[in-house]
Amino acid sequence: MIISDTYAIFWREMKRYRKSKSGVIIRLIQPAIWIVVMGNIFAGTQPLIQSVGFDGEYIEFMAPGVLILTAIFTSIFGGVNTLWDRRYGFMNKALTSPISRSSIALGKMLAISMIAAFQSSLILGMALALGVSMPHLWMIAPIMGIVILFSIGFSGISVMIAAAAKSQETFWGIINFLGMPLFLLSPALFPLELMPDWLASIAAFNPVSYTVILVREMMSGYVDSLSAITSIAVLGTFSIIMIGLASYVFTRDVNKPF
Amino acid sequence: MNAIEINSLTKKFKKSVAIDNISLNVEEGEIFGFLGPNGAGKSTTMMILTTLLKPTSGNASVYGFDVVTNPSKVRKNIGFVQQEIGIDEYLTARENLQFQCKISQIPKEQIQKRIEEVLDLVELTEKQDDQSITFSGGMRKRLDIACGLIHRPKVLFLDEPTVGLDIQTRRKIWEYIRKIHKEFGMTIFVSTHYMEEADNLCDRVGIIDYGKIQIVDTPEYMKNKLETDLVTFSVMSNEIKKEQFIQKIKMIELIKNVKINENEIIIQSSNSTQIIPKIFQISSEIGINIDSFVLNKPTLDDVFISYTGRNLRDDTNGKFNKRKEFNQSRRRGL
Repeated sequence: MIISDTYAIFWREMKRYRKSKSGVIIRLIQPAIWIVVMGNIFAGTQPLIQSVGFDGEYIEFMAPGVLILTAIFTSIFGGVNTLWDRRYGFMNKALTSPISRSSIALGKMLAISMIAAFQSSLILGMALALGVSMPHLWMIAPIMGIVILFSIGFSGISVMIAAAAKSQETFWGIINFLGMPLFLLSPALFPLELMPDWLASIAAFNPVSYTVILVREMMSGYVDSLSAITSIAVLGTFSIIMIGLASYVFTRDVNKPF
Repeated sequence: MNAIEINSLTKKFKKSVAIDNISLNVEEGEIFGFLGPNGAGKSTTMMILTTLLKPTSGNASVYGFDVVTNPSKVRKNIGFVQQEIGIDEYLTARENLQFQCKISQIPKEQIQKRIEEVLDLVELTEKQDDQSITFSGGMRKRLDIACGLIHRPKVLFLDEPTVGLDIQTRRKIWEYIRKIHKEFGMTIFVSTHYMEEADNLCDRVGIIDYGKIQIVDTPEYMKNKLETDLVTFSVMSNEIKKEQFIQKIKMIELIKNVKINENEIIIQSSNSTQIIPKIFQISSEIGINIDSFVLNKPTLDDVFISYTGRNLRDDTNGKFNKRKEFNQSRRRGL
């Protein structure tokens, strides 16, 4: 039952996404700017990057970071339509139907993660077109698996905040406050080894760090199996906690008057 | 068995009492109208009945299932069409209905047939593959109503179904509601602040104001109880004959009051259809000429005024505006 109920919500979210073709493009602009502009601005840091053992150009170092940036922002913004659904009463249709509140939250999260993976794959394609080399192209599939796993956690944060926030302003305030630090406090743009210790130790608690390191290894073709297992375990735990938390908060907050 | 039972239901918000100890039974298969001005407590009651809000005290049940302790059973038996049009504008009409079927857990093999059936009912078959953002207000409402009934609920809740629609569209929506009722025989609970709507559509009407139910009965009974049919006769005659005429009229049963205003005789009675022939009889006996007459039946408006002491559309009343404002701020989520 919960599977078909979750699928119902997922189905609607995906239909909506497919109809907003302009949205697909708009969401790619920001990461594209990151790759092109930042990739070139920081091109001179190549010796620094190489000093910590990354054998490649800076753009190859940061491409996985931007891929994850796309995933972070697509998924953390993705919950906003929870607010619209509640504002325009669409949510009440689902809330007065026999499906459970948890499956509404879960359906949204799965759809957001799927969309995040799709957007990231477009960015990956763009990076490859810009000359980023990737020895094993078949790695794209497992990379997308990691992105989906990671995005489920972040979409959980988004759905949770959207359910608890009563206004767009609150939602965007919290999301903007969260999004950037999570991205910057990770090795997405700069290696952890070169960060000040206190920042590096904060970054060690950030699920984004594990994802970036894993995806970077997968793209460069040298995957260390121990660190890969650790990363997947961290991401899995993160996502499971977020699924539980999001369905709890969502269920609690949609039962309050909007 | 009653479709809906409400026992001493109360809902308090932080600063106000939205509904105050109301009790009400809605019978199976009837169209019940919940009539009152904005802020009277209609939507709050409906949200409790549809499991969207929890009451502060008292209880309510739909087909025997308590809305607080057994909400999932209630949700299986209801359809809810709220005041704001709750369709997804990015989806087509068909996709909106598909979504409703999915969340209502309708078996896959029945979905196609159900969709065709309701599309036909609300006359949207030709527009089914258009994105609903292109629809007019009336079409959106029709689609929304179709979503509310595709899973054949036992009770259909319609919250202000024609608010913001023009007169023709409103009549059309009433027509659909009657058609739905005839076809499926479900219980319909409709809230409205339009007198004509309650009068036109409902088997029974409950008038609610300031969170309290003032009266529940059929629109006909309420109007008859007012006993204020007004019949105005224009007569051309001398004073003596007129005086004679009035004396005789006053002797007719059912007549409550007679007034003269120059050439007009205004008669207040409980049942004008019975007295008018008698008056014509008297006039021919005396030999007095009646030029014309006008009959004014009481409207539900008059009923509302008599029970609440104010007009439903009277926005100038300061107290009323305060409540209206309060209600709006509550909707904004304060």
